[in-house]
Amino acid sequence: MLSYAIRRLLFLPIVLILLALMIFALQMMLTPMQRLALYAPSPDYLKGGETFIRSLIDLYGLDDPFFVQFGRWIGNVVRGNLGWSETARMPVGQAIALLFPATLELALFSFIPVILGAIWLGTKAATHHNRLTDHSVRVFTILGWSFPDFVFGLLALMVFYGSLRWFPPGRLSPAMDAIVRSDAFHRYTRMNVLDAILNGNGRVMLDSLRHLVLPVITLAYVNWASMVRIMRSSMLETLRQDYVTTARAKGLTERKVENRHARRNALLPVTTVSGFVVAWMMGGVVIIESIFDYHGLGRFAANAAANLDFSAILGFALYFAVLLVIVNLVVDLLYAYLDPRVKLG
Amino acid sequence: MKRAVLFAVVVLMLVGVAGLAQVKNPGTLTFLWTSDLRTMDPAYVASTPGSYAPFNLYDRLLNYKGEAIDEFIPGISRVVPSVENGLITQAPDGRVFYTFPIETGVYCHQVGVRASDGSIVWKAYDELTDAEKKDIVPGYGEITPSDVKYSLLRAMLLGFSWMSNAITDMFTGSQYPDVEAMALALGGVETMDEVDDATEAAVYNTLADKIAVRDDAVEIVLDKPFPATLGILALPFGASILDQEWAVAQGAWDGAANTWIDYFKPTLEENPLFAIENGSGPFQLEEWDRAEKKAIFKRFEGYFREPASLERVVLRSVTEWTTRRLQLEAGDADLVSTPVEFLDEMEATDGVTVLRGLPMVSTTNTFFLWPVQDSGNPNLGSGKLDGKGIPPDFFSDIDVRKGFCYAMDYDALINQIHLGNTEQARGPIVKGIMGYRADSPVYSYDPEKAKEHFMKAWGGEVWEKGFKLTAFYIAGITTWQSALGILQQNLSRINPKFQIEIQGVQWSAFSDLLWGGAEPGAALVVCNWGPDYSDPGGPLGAASYYLDMNGAVAGFSGSGYVDLIEDKFQPLLDEAWALVDPAEREPIYAKLQEMSYEYATSLFMWQDYTYLVERDWVHGYTHNAITYGAVYFYPMSKSE
Repeated sequence: MLSYAIRRLLFLPIVLILLALMIFALQMMLTPMQRLALYAPSPDYLKGGETFIRSLIDLYGLDDPFFVQFGRWIGNVVRGNLGWSETARMPVGQAIALLFPATLELALFSFIPVILGAIWLGTKAATHHNRLTDHSVRVFTILGWSFPDFVFGLLALMVFYGSLRWFPPGRLSPAMDAIVRSDAFHRYTRMNVLDAILNGNGRVMLDSLRHLVLPVITLAYVNWASMVRIMRSSMLETLRQDYVTTARAKGLTERKVENRHARRNALLPVTTVSGFVVAWMMGGVVIIESIFDYHGLGRFAANAAANLDFSAILGFALYFAVLLVIVNLVVDLLYAYLDPRVKLG
Repeated sequence: MKRAVLFAVVVLMLVGVAGLAQVKNPGTLTFLWTSDLRTMDPAYVASTPGSYAPFNLYDRLLNYKGEAIDEFIPGISRVVPSVENGLITQAPDGRVFYTFPIETGVYCHQVGVRASDGSIVWKAYDELTDAEKKDIVPGYGEITPSDVKYSLLRAMLLGFSWMSNAITDMFTGSQYPDVEAMALALGGVETMDEVDDATEAAVYNTLADKIAVRDDAVEIVLDKPFPATLGILALPFGASILDQEWAVAQGAWDGAANTWIDYFKPTLEENPLFAIENGSGPFQLEEWDRAEKKAIFKRFEGYFREPASLERVVLRSVTEWTTRRLQLEAGDADLVSTPVEFLDEMEATDGVTVLRGLPMVSTTNTFFLWPVQDSGNPNLGSGKLDGKGIPPDFFSDIDVRKGFCYAMDYDALINQIHLGNTEQARGPIVKGIMGYRADSPVYSYDPEKAKEHFMKAWGGEVWEKGFKLTAFYIAGITTWQSALGILQQNLSRINPKFQIEIQGVQWSAFSDLLWGGAEPGAALVVCNWGPDYSDPGGPLGAASYYLDMNGAVAGFSGSGYVDLIEDKFQPLLDEAWALVDPAEREPIYAKLQEMSYEYATSLFMWQDYTYLVERDWVHGYTHNAITYGAVYFYPMSKSE
């Protein structure tokens, strides 16, 4: 298993270089003037006229040949410098490092209920096939699937914050934010809930959780739809297998048949989809982040793309590529663990 | 029974009290916007959102007086110089002297304190005890005339922001638009890399010789009158004053004649003052979280005037409108950026006040560009007057331009698109700026006159064959799109062969259309443009921007437009700029405004405006058209 993992990871540099080349090539299809928009985002910056504009293009090397620009970027990356992000107003690496914990926190709090809820609901639906439970679960999931996430999120915000004032947007209330930023509070991970626990500050922890409720519910609900259906279908198919019939015939309780024999095999497709969901969440969910005023990697990447901030786009793409490779590897390893018939390598 | 009634009354009173809006976070004003601060360095700032930092964290020699765009109040200068008080004088050789007596006791947010080992340590002024304040090293964190000289020189020599380059223009009497042009000219070279030490020193000396430190005053000497001098020095950009000793300690330019080139045009990350500040303004930077796009300004208790009423100001970027709105309604935000289509709704919302129709000095117009790049340009269609395109110099014909001007329904623009919040632009000069006259001629929607002009245009070919062109606007600006929609419909009603395609493009593509080549890539665009001070002339003046051959509009409108301007407008502009007496200058600018109508240089549409949506417990906002709606938090407060 270890050698398989290492072999897979050896492909990573090749993937990253090809990805960077592709993005760089796309970038070079824009004219220097178009790429200058990142540094001159409004007419105010171009009042100096043609000479001034030309000097800005020269300053940022936007007219340099492709290989000069690419070579410059590669040289910096090798030295651990992903470049400067005009969008984030800081080095790309620093921006990703600062925003990653927020995205990770949201993903963790969302992923766990998504997976556990999907497995449980899908199992319940399958084992109560065509009965009220099954129909209820299916309606519940279809509703979730039909609801665009931004509509659900906005409605949830209007009801639970706008009307009830229960769950505000953002990550922390101003008072708790001031505590977190104070010298008395140590930001070990920049994940507010975990840091609050490590600092022994219950108020900050509760406030962080309060701010996570709506984004987590929104993310969970829209993802449950697909996951529950996959789990249900997989479970139904597994329950029809001969070995399950044999297990029942041997006198095992239905509970043991489901939990020990059927569910494990039914998890295989769910495992695959889970990998995609994790990767998607860890890439940042820009709509959720925008609605709930939650600054994570999703918004950063979206803003970078809108601003043509290619340093940031490249940096984010590399991060996401690494993430995808690792997630796919973990999924494959899990697959082999769940199904002994699957051989790695 | 009586007890029940009494109980009910008490409950009702309590409910009533609870229902009253209570000021949330009374000492903190939270502003949710969609913009972002770029830097804390005033010399680097060029845009309205960026100006929030220098505006509130720094001081200038002067400030604009309330809503007035041509009157000033003292800032770091104790007095506003004028001819009457003798602080503006003109020598027989034509040189003009401005004297600014500098306030004493103006401390910055951080001051240099002598430590026990003799070194100088920078500490927060507000945290010093009275005893520690005695250890402040003179000049270290205390604004002096030398700091004023340094700040102005630094802004010019950094050379990055056009707003700072305007100071160079001022000091060189418009001979050089920026230090780069000066250095290349003085050195007789083509690139800054070729500038030698002698030229470097010459540039410095040329500028430094114009600013003299005289005891407790700064004297600025200009070779000839520059009417916009006070206006430029009051702008919240490069004219903001910072402490030289602090700046140098952070790694900024040391003020020497032979080192400024090393600090010329830094990128954002190369600028040591990018993310830090040490102004003397009413607020100081408590935190700038660039990852979360949040800045917190804290009241400076040591401000040399009365400290601000607000303890804190929080600026946060929130892109989703509904989220901003909900936070405003909940009282978690006090000011929010609002799309114009929601103003009526917000006005009807409890606890919310809308300040409408706040004028700005810019106008939004449809620009005629000619000639257009013609090699393989799809925006020209066939490239000929055959009903399937236009020739590159389509708008060179004045009858075409006038036809377009008469085809626009200005009433619909003002009343339907802008809901009556503004008025029709009469030309490049707006109300309040010299040269504006309320009765100057303007175009009105007149399909018959439009038809008359189109029938004459291009020897009748326009009417007979029609045309097809693409008009551009910046994607997302719905009012610009709507304006083009009106024009499109009206033109096709006048003659069905007149076709306009409307295309919204991202800013990057839009800027490429206008500035990406020797000539523009499109014939018709909507954009807004406006001056940066109240004088109509000079590098940032309304008339200059539009009607100077080196102005901003000429810079993207094509050589045909430039030729027209050079021939008809430039002589008058130069004449007006050379005069000193407003009574002599005003008629010339008024004439230029009329000529912009006569020659239909652009299709002038509306005067830009802004608005403020705030909780009704917010008070003290003063709008000044020159600052384009940038909020100065000093006079503001929160109370029932």
